Amino acid sequence: LTPLANGTLAALLEAAPDAMVCIAADGRLVLVNAQAEQLFGYERAELIGQPVEILVPDAARAVHPGHRAGYVADPRHRPMGAGLSLAGRRRDASTFAADVSLSAIDTDEGILVAAAIRDVTAQRRIKDLERSNRDLESFIYTVSHDLRAPLRALSGYSELLLEEYGGVLGEEGRGYAERIVAVSEHMGELIDYLLQLSRVSRAELHLQSVDLGGEAAQIAKEIQRREPLRHVCFTIQRQVQALADRRLIVTVLQNLLDNAWKFTSGRDDASIEFGTAPSGDGAVCCYVRDNGAGFDPAYAGKLFQPFQRLHAARDFPGAGTGLASVRQIVQRHGGQVWAEGAVGGGATFYFTLDGKESA
Amino acid sequence: MTSQPILLVEDNPDDEALTLRAFEKSNISNEVIVARDGAEALAYLFPADGDGNGVPRPALILLDLNLPKVGGLEVLRKMQADARTRVIPVVVLTSSKQEEDILDSYRSGANAYVRKPVKFSDFADAVRALGVFWLLLNEPAPSRGPESD
Repeated sequence: LTPLANGTLAALLEAAPDAMVCIAADGRLVLVNAQAEQLFGYERAELIGQPVEILVPDAARAVHPGHRAGYVADPRHRPMGAGLSLAGRRRDASTFAADVSLSAIDTDEGILVAAAIRDVTAQRRIKDLERSNRDLESFIYTVSHDLRAPLRALSGYSELLLEEYGGVLGEEGRGYAERIVAVSEHMGELIDYLLQLSRVSRAELHLQSVDLGGEAAQIAKEIQRREPLRHVCFTIQRQVQALADRRLIVTVLQNLLDNAWKFTSGRDDASIEFGTAPSGDGAVCCYVRDNGAGFDPAYAGKLFQPFQRLHAARDFPGAGTGLASVRQIVQRHGGQVWAEGAVGGGATFYFTLDGKESA
Repeated sequence: MTSQPILLVEDNPDDEALTLRAFEKSNISNEVIVARDGAEALAYLFPADGDGNGVPRPALILLDLNLPKVGGLEVLRKMQADARTRVIPVVVLTSSKQEEDILDSYRSGANAYVRKPVKFSDFADAVRALGVFWLLLNEPAPSRGPESD
């Protein structure tokens, strides 16, 4: 290699996208670029001639000269501190997560060690978040299974009490035991919902063009078949194309249509509508509207929270998890959900998805 | 025909009691042997002394996945690796309905996978159905001694 003139090196450093510093064999800073000044909060003149440890967090300062000597002994181009969480120290003593890569440069003033420093605070935060998400999911998985075992015992022994000691318990006692059985089953549903939540957040999205109208019509037919005696007028817009994960978006439609079906149960002239509303920037805005029990708009924000119910369980049964799933799935697709309604005035649930560009 | 035992591999004492009760209710008269972890199950299936001819082969194994010491999947794999135990029907009976657990079970040689329902009457129905299918309807592998593969 031809030794580089120091001036040429300085010009190269200025052009580098990352913060860069060069140190001489004795560990003193020889060159710094403008990006380094900005990253560490120093003026160039304050750095030149200082030991490079001025840029190293206090905790690592004592060991740094040893590492430095190690590098000079074997100066290959490599990332610094492989596997370690490195940090840089700013002028105000604050620190930031850093990736540093090292190389040796042959100059007319001898070998210099060049360090490129990148602030990776954001990346490291994302990694931490991803890890804590994974931890949370495995926690949910474990807890859900551990919670089901005692539930089975609660429900099981209560049923055995009813079967074998029903006579001794009397009518009131049997009623209590029956309630234990019922709430155990309900809690089983809640636990299943927790599992489902963690599954959706982990599932990979398989995006494809889905005809939401066709899917909605299919679901409506199925719901109607379950309760053939109820008369409900379905109005479903066909050919509503959107980019979505079919399995997940069918869950959204299923939940919204099930809800509409449930909350119109008190009406003889029940009607349920699926359609699209105008929306900007290529998105598809769909709605499911019913003329059922509706809700108090003051509590609209609570609708999509898990385990929240705006109606008494005896009027409209349910675990309060359907709309929370809807929100989670739509948000997973990058869309939004909201609701409009009034007590006794029906409800409309909106969600947005990316549309399918027509060819 | 001698009645072969059922091997129940279950670490939770309540699940054990309820499963035994469910067997009683469904008039299944086979003896139920309980192993409380995977190591106990393997010790029963592969006795250390001799060739294990004194121990009756179970007609059916009900296997939990989440077990102390040796997990259910490991028990399945050990059974698959031995010609004598490979032919014994194994029903995985567990709390989980995670896709991974179901897939791993079948890949490790499970013959069926049943999720334990929370409601005891549903659980008792499931146990009865399992007993009827695996002990009465299903034709087990003939016992000709160890195969030579």
